[in-house]
Amino acid sequence: MSTRAPAAEPTVTLRPELAARAEIDRSCRAPVLVFAGSAVFWLVAGSLMALLAAIKMHTPGFLTSWEPLTFGRVRPVHLNMTIFGWASMAGIAVLLWLQARLARARLPFPNLLVAGGVVWNVALAAGLVEISIGHGTSVEWIEIPLFWALGFAAVFAVVMAASLTMFGRRKVVHVYVSQWYLFGAVLWFPFLYLMANVLIHGGFTSGTTAAATNWWFAHNVLGLWLTPIGLATIYYLIPKVIGAPIHSYHLSILGFWSLALFYNWAGTHHLIGGPLPAWLVTVGIVGSVMMFVPVVTVGINHHMTMVGHFHRLKDSPTLRFVVFGGMSYTVVSVQGSLTSLRSINEVNHFTHYTIAHAHLGVYAFFSMVMFGALYYMLPRLTGREWGSARLIKLHFWASALGIALYWGPLTIGGWVQGLHMNNPDLPFLSIVSGTIPYLWGRTAAGVLMTVGHCVFGWLVLGMLQPRHATEQATQPSGVAQPGEVEA
Amino acid sequence: MSPVYWVVLGVVTAFALSAVGALVWAIGQGQMEHFSAGARSIFDAGEPVGTPTDAFPGTARRGEG
Amino acid sequence: MNRAVWLYLGVLLTVISSFVGLVRIPARQLRGLLPIKDDLGVERPQRPDGGVLAGRAEYIGLGCLYCHSQQVRPEEFGADLARGWGSRRTVARDYIWDVPPVMGTMRTGPDLANIGARQPSPAWHLLHLFRPRLTSSGSTMPEYPFLFESQRVELQRPAEALSFPQGEPRQGWVVVPTQRARDLVTYLRSLDHSYPVPEAR
Repeated sequence: MSTRAPAAEPTVTLRPELAARAEIDRSCRAPVLVFAGSAVFWLVAGSLMALLAAIKMHTPGFLTSWEPLTFGRVRPVHLNMTIFGWASMAGIAVLLWLQARLARARLPFPNLLVAGGVVWNVALAAGLVEISIGHGTSVEWIEIPLFWALGFAAVFAVVMAASLTMFGRRKVVHVYVSQWYLFGAVLWFPFLYLMANVLIHGGFTSGTTAAATNWWFAHNVLGLWLTPIGLATIYYLIPKVIGAPIHSYHLSILGFWSLALFYNWAGTHHLIGGPLPAWLVTVGIVGSVMMFVPVVTVGINHHMTMVGHFHRLKDSPTLRFVVFGGMSYTVVSVQGSLTSLRSINEVNHFTHYTIAHAHLGVYAFFSMVMFGALYYMLPRLTGREWGSARLIKLHFWASALGIALYWGPLTIGGWVQGLHMNNPDLPFLSIVSGTIPYLWGRTAAGVLMTVGHCVFGWLVLGMLQPRHATEQATQPSGVAQPGEVEA
Repeated sequence: MSPVYWVVLGVVTAFALSAVGALVWAIGQGQMEHFSAGARSIFDAGEPVGTPTDAFPGTARRGEG
Repeated sequence: MNRAVWLYLGVLLTVISSFVGLVRIPARQLRGLLPIKDDLGVERPQRPDGGVLAGRAEYIGLGCLYCHSQQVRPEEFGADLARGWGSRRTVARDYIWDVPPVMGTMRTGPDLANIGARQPSPAWHLLHLFRPRLTSSGSTMPEYPFLFESQRVELQRPAEALSFPQGEPRQGWVVVPTQRARDLVTYLRSLDHSYPVPEAR
């Protein structure tokens, strides 16, 4: 039962469950908003860097006189801005909130976490400056020099502590499947990050050993960091938004455990045909192909959960983004498994095909899921409503069409590039010329995606403004507001 | 074969074993029983099964069950 | 705290201790992978000297690997050998001095593992770095003007001035490589894995 407050007073009695959940959301506010707001900043900055890199690939004379803008530095700056800026910070924002929700425990030591957000931003900015002035390491995904990388490691430690604390204080008996995935991300990945940085930049490895360590680590950024966060989010938000539980919980558990067992082994598929011991490469291929099991499991589960509820895609911003992301996960993972087969890899290795595949994973899957999560979280953390449904839809279509336009042409162009490269009668420079139209297509796609990101940034800014006393959300996207009557 | 390969192999195996170990723990704790309850653990009386919890801003959702 | 937490902490501690053990292992313990001697008794691959290392640092700082690979695939896998990118596939031994290796994952530009053997001319490399389309029509490689300096011609042309096929870009001025450009070219010309090794035909 509920009480309706007298009209003159904006007090309310919520159902105890809603009040408890709102209390938990409120406890997350400062740290999550710091990480989320920073993430969106890096998204916009990273998109501009992306455009710069994309243009330089088909118009090489563009902005070449200033050394910090040379392509070989812009490209890693873009990667680190989007992976460690946008993706990781959004991921941390979401995993902190999600774990608080799942444990039904308040987020602990918020001030320390806020400080962590600041430290992360400083370390990233410094690392990006280092790359721009020529101190980048040219070790892919670990371009930021060791000193600043340790800053990330320190923040990881705080995030780990917060996660374990909440888990220890949990008020639920059952450990929901999302929590398993998040443990994979939060407890394993930071250690791998530290290990890879120290092994490679500390000089303990060289030659092919360093290369194998590099790609074992880099693939784990996807397999043990981004993928688990993304899947955990999908497993929570789809049921929550549609109001129906996961179709087969058995399948979801199977999906997690098979991912935990196989994904870690896949890294050396980045070096097929390279100077590694053959058994090491084969292990990578086997691990990659075995990933069919968790991927198909997850795909079936998401689809069956959505059956009967697809019409809700019209009504819910979060659902659109999250379902798009979930479907993309299946596509990119199947593509990944196939791409690791030697016969396919012989064509696509070293081509633009690989870049298209990478963006399908990090953008079409992970980023779209993060967008969905942020659209769900921010009203509940700030007590405000999103400024414009129309702008949200614009963001969705710009991103969805943008990544489709990105992936399609670049995949075709990359495949053709690979076929031509394996034909020794074709001069190399003619192959380069052949890729130019596809690279223009990628730039056009990037412009569309950047428009979407600017729209999203604008919407987020609106949420982060200080609230006026007279402001009332008219119809929230699900947030219980003062004055509302509860059923 | 560089010792680093053995370290990486060891880490990867340790992670796989810890995954198995956590699975054993989960089974022992009864996490694999009452699956239906597990799937429903994210719902409660405030946001029960059957109640959607997201909508575009400005759309009428009040009273929907 | 409950047992799951202890389980995870235990695993982490085990892994951490193995990592600490690694700190004691000397940096260059690549058991079984040492240079071999070629017919003239020269060690291959050669330990790089200061000039090559300085050039390698430029290669890394400028991010050349984002467009260029340095690994030659075997004959039955792609057309690397047929394209003349090497006389044999590259093997682990070729990279033992590379800290870190720059094998690369993109071939926006050609593979460079043997560019020193394929293109030994310093003048070509300098011109190519200054303005790639002068040597390679249709290339999408960017220009590196900041590796060069313009000098007014006083009495006579400096010996190291770049020689342009269509004449100088600017009348009365010549383009001269900086030490950075020279180092980078030294490194590029050192890239040569054509020495035979027992593990590759």
